[in-house]
This record gives sequence, C-alpha cells and structure tokens, in this order.
Amino acid sequence: MTTLTISGLTKRFGEVTAVDDLSLEIAEGELVSLLGPSGCGKTTTLRSIAGFVQPDAGAILFDGIDITSFAPERRNIGMVFQNYALFPHMTVRENLRFGLEMRRIGRKEMAERIGKVLDIVQLAGLEDRYPRQLSGGQQQRVALARSLVIEPRVLLLDEPLTNLDAKLREEMRFFIRSLQKRVGITTVYVTHDQAEAMVISDRIVVMFNGRIRQLGDATEIYSHPVSREVADFIGLSNFIDGRVKARTGDDRYAVETPLGEIWCRSVLTLPVGNPATVVVRPESIELKREPSNDGNVNSIAGRVRDRFYLGNIAGYRVVCADGSVIQVQEEPWHASAVSDQVWCVFAGDLAWIIRQ
Amino acid sequence: MTVEPHRLALQRAPAARETRHRVATWLRANMVLLLIVPTLVFLGCFLVAPYLNMLVMSFRNPSTTSVFAPGYTVANYGKALTDPYYLGVLAQTIEFGIVTTAICATIGYPVAYHLARTRSRFKGLLYVGILSPLLVGVVVRCYGWIILLANNGLINNGVKKLGLFPHGLMLMYNAFGVGVGLVHVFLPFMILPILSSIQSIDPALEEAAQSLGASRTRVMLRVVIPLSLPGIQAGSILVFVLTISAYVIPILLGALKIKIMPTLVIQLLIDAFLWPFGAALAFILAASGAAVVYIFIRVTGRLMKGLT
Repeated sequence: MTTLTISGLTKRFGEVTAVDDLSLEIAEGELVSLLGPSGCGKTTTLRSIAGFVQPDAGAILFDGIDITSFAPERRNIGMVFQNYALFPHMTVRENLRFGLEMRRIGRKEMAERIGKVLDIVQLAGLEDRYPRQLSGGQQQRVALARSLVIEPRVLLLDEPLTNLDAKLREEMRFFIRSLQKRVGITTVYVTHDQAEAMVISDRIVVMFNGRIRQLGDATEIYSHPVSREVADFIGLSNFIDGRVKARTGDDRYAVETPLGEIWCRSVLTLPVGNPATVVVRPESIELKREPSNDGNVNSIAGRVRDRFYLGNIAGYRVVCADGSVIQVQEEPWHASAVSDQVWCVFAGDLAWIIRQ
Repeated sequence: MTVEPHRLALQRAPAARETRHRVATWLRANMVLLLIVPTLVFLGCFLVAPYLNMLVMSFRNPSTTSVFAPGYTVANYGKALTDPYYLGVLAQTIEFGIVTTAICATIGYPVAYHLARTRSRFKGLLYVGILSPLLVGVVVRCYGWIILLANNGLINNGVKKLGLFPHGLMLMYNAFGVGVGLVHVFLPFMILPILSSIQSIDPALEEAAQSLGASRTRVMLRVVIPLSLPGIQAGSILVFVLTISAYVIPILLGALKIKIMPTLVIQLLIDAFLWPFGAALAFILAASGAAVVYIFIRVTGRLMKGLT
C-alpha cells in the first residue's frame, strides 16, 4: 500500500507547457481519475509518474520517498496502456511471467501468482494463447493481469477502455473498479470520458491546460462545478449570466439576471454587485404550465422551440424572453409540445453560482 | 444487338463455339497474367537458359583442346567434393559470408534502431548516409578504400609518421581489407530490412517492458530484438548471399591473396579454361549457399514462432 504524492510537477514540450505546477496527494488504495480533454496534460502526468517523462520541475513521491530520478524499471509500477501493449511474441503465460522474471521470483511462486491473478481476471485456461488469438476484452484483462501480477506499488491506467466497444466498456468499468477495491492498490486512471471517471473513481481530478481545475468526488464535480469550463466539460449545463443582488444566508444568494431574479447557492463569498454566472443542469429543471409560488423555487417563462425523445428522457430547448435558450431534460412521458408557453421551474438548491 | 451473331455462331458449330467461348472467358478473367509475359521471356532467355547451359556444362568431359570433350561425366563434381583444397576454399567462403553477415548485423542493428525511433530533423540525411555506399560505383569505391588501406596509403603513412607502427599495418590484400569493403557496401542491405521491422514495433511495448522492471538491455534482448527477427533474417540472407558471390571487391582489395569461391571460379574459367570444372564449382557454391540459407531460415523460423 502506497501513498502517491505529486508535488509541483511541471513539464514543457518546447513552447507548450503540458503540465503546469501540478500538486496532488493520492491516499493508499485510492483510485483517482485524471479527467480532461485531449492535450490537457493528463497523460503527461501519468507518464511522469511512470518515469517515461522526466519533469522539468517538481517531484513524484511514493510513501514520501522521492523517486523522480528513478528509471521506470526501478519504480515498481504496474501500467496498462491504451492499446494494451501485450508482447505479441509471447503467450499469455509468458506475458505474465515477464515481470516476475525481471524480479527473479522463484518458479513455484511464479506459477502460484500467475494462477491467482488469472483467476481474478477470469482468464484461467487461456494461458497458452498468443495475444492475437484473444478478443479485445480478453487482451485488456491480460494487460491488467500482467500489471497486477508483479504486485506493484501503484497501478497506472492510460485510457484502458478506449479501444473496447461501448457495451464492453461499461462492463469493464465495474470490473476494474471492483478489482481495484479487491486488490486495494493505489491507482491513477487517465480518461477523457466523464462517465467512466464518475463510475470508477474515488476522486476525480479535472484538468485543463496542464492545471488542476477541480478536485473532488463525482457528486461534487457534477453538482458543484467551480468554473464554467468544468461545468461545460462534465455533462450538459445552462449558464445564465447576471449580478449578485443579495446574500440571504451563508451559501444563499439572489442573482439579478436578464431572465429575472434567480435564487441559488454557492460556497463562494461574493460581494453584492459582483458579476456571477448561474449553472443549472437540464435535469434539474421541470417544465410547468404555471410558475411556482414557493419562494425558494425559480420560475423562468419561455416557449418550447425543440423537443426530442431519447427513450429514457425527453429533451427540450426553451427560448426565453431575451432570446437565450435553456436546455431541459424531462421524464420521457412529459408532454409539452413545440411552441407551448411554459415555465422552467427549478429549486434554488439545484442552481449553483460560479465566478464569471 | 451484339447477341444476335453470337447466337447464330452457336447454332452453326456448338462445340467449337463453346471452346472458343471458354478460352475467351478465361482470357478475359486472367488478362492480367499477360502482363508478366515480358518478364517471363526476359528471365527465360537471360537467366534460366544460361543456367541450364551451365548445368549441362558442369557435366561435360574436360578437354585441353576445346571448351569440352564429347560425353558426360560426374567427375567434375567428384573432384570438387573430394579435393581438400576446393573444400577448404568452399568452407572459407561460407565462413567469410557468415562473419561478414554477423559484422553487418552487429553494426547495422543499432543504426537501424536509432533511425526507427529518432524524431530528429536530420532523419532524411541519415537515410542518405546509409544509402551512400550504393551511390558510388563499385570500382570507384574500392579505389577509395585502396587509397586509405594500401601499404603506402593514408592510414599507414599516418601511423608511420606518428611512429605508432614503424613497419606499417597490413590492412589490404587480406581478409580484413576485403571484409571492410564488403561490410561497407552491404550494410544498407542489413539496415533497411531491420529498420522497417523495428518501425513496426509499437514503442509502447518497450515502455510496457520497462514498467514491468526490465532494464534497457533486457528490453532490447527480450522484446525489441525478438520482434525484429524477421528484419534480421531478411537482412542476413541478403548480405550472406551477396558476400559469398562477391567478386569485384575481393579481387580489388584482396588481389587473390584471399581464396574464395567466386575468384577461384573465374580463375578456372578465364585463366585455366576449365569450363566444365568451373561450372561444377559454381553450382556447388550456389547449392552450399542455399543450404546455409535454408538452415538459417529453419533456425530463425523456430525463434519467430509466435510472430506470425
């Protein structure tokens, strides 16, 4: 069990700063996802932990010991690559044995460990197959097994599910999650898929331009995004720009917007008169015939412009008085029709303020 | 419209018409085969026919007054395969081929690896550098080496002036000089196949091996080299075959001081005028070379079992 500390990590490639003064502490047995669009520095961060990238500044520590100058082969890490990187000239068994041979593990223990890990990834019986004789999902599990059989201090996963088809990908999320919990290994998981990150992680690191923009569990990241960037990247959002009109409680604000006054929450301390943006998730909004008369609930008038049906939800795009569009997700049986006059109704608790 | 005469023809002579029809269909389907006819004719006239002629020649009776005497014999082969002198030259030729191949592989592999993995701007220039020996004619290239390696050449004059080796070094007219000349020109034939096979190895495999605890050396030995065996195999076969049949370079840089089959065969044909015996020796060299290549393919094939 290892604590992983990243401190002030910086890496430049020519003019581009891939990772910019990134610090992060990952607890024993924790699974942390690095989530962000391509080019945000998540892969560079992972490769720095693995030792394939030498950082320009900062340090990587395992259990408080600085390993920044260690070669990859001396770090005792397990890494799963996007394309699995199984050795094509070796059978499954030989692939698994590779890391153990490098560690000069005895024959008997080798066989035991390989047997155990193959049971865990449910691949027993395929020991003598070559990688090309396996399906994508099986190859994926061999790659996992190969990185786990050496009992590494840290497990690093670089977009491991990208090359699988959608159905298998969802299955593997749970598989990797339960496997990681069972083994109890400190894990860093790189992905650009928010759903994957939310399902699999203890905590999510949202990265943009080489910096951490938000750090928290799935609920925090989704419900309380800190910036427009984060809210926009994770799920769908409505943004309504305005000014702080009043603070009515510790975390309660009234914001004056072109669509009227909106009640919302924020952990930020915002002085009255400050510009602010209200974030509301489409599924937090209900479409009603009448405005709500509850003082803590917001109601915005509009007209339905589009309706679409996705089976599990009905989506609406509602045009408001000032021409702005609010996206709404309703129950699939909700029956507002195009060009209906409606009220977008949402509780102040479900609206969230971010800085502009 | 065009169907009408067709049908008439069928009525007139159904069987002949059918045959012609079948031939026409076959031709139309296999028209593309016509494209290889020029090549076949060319190879037939200038490769197969001369070889057959040589093969027949190698079974002719020797003669002192003409090219060959009437009648056929296997004595030419008998003599070549029992005389220790010729067997010795054959062994030396094969050995020379193997050593040159090994040197080319050893020198060429790191170059190929570097070129396959580099992201340098000068990559194109490196390619030109590797191909440069092939851009100069063989005679010119050899005279270049002679200027460097001769007893009063640049290197010897240099070391004598520096007082390092007062008697100079024997750099030419021996296996060393010939080896240098051959390695120089055959290196590209080793590097290019290895280069392409290394390029097809996913760099992530090397990282995976490293992450599993393998040092750079182990990564090379366990992952990169095994996966580039097809390239090593192809390059080795090329260099070996070219070496054991090389004539100009051994003549110019070895001047008959180094006994190998091609120079011996030419000597027998041109100087001694023993055409049947020379032809037999040539075929023995070709067969021996083929045998070595066959064994090499079998051995390396076993090592590449998982690759295909």
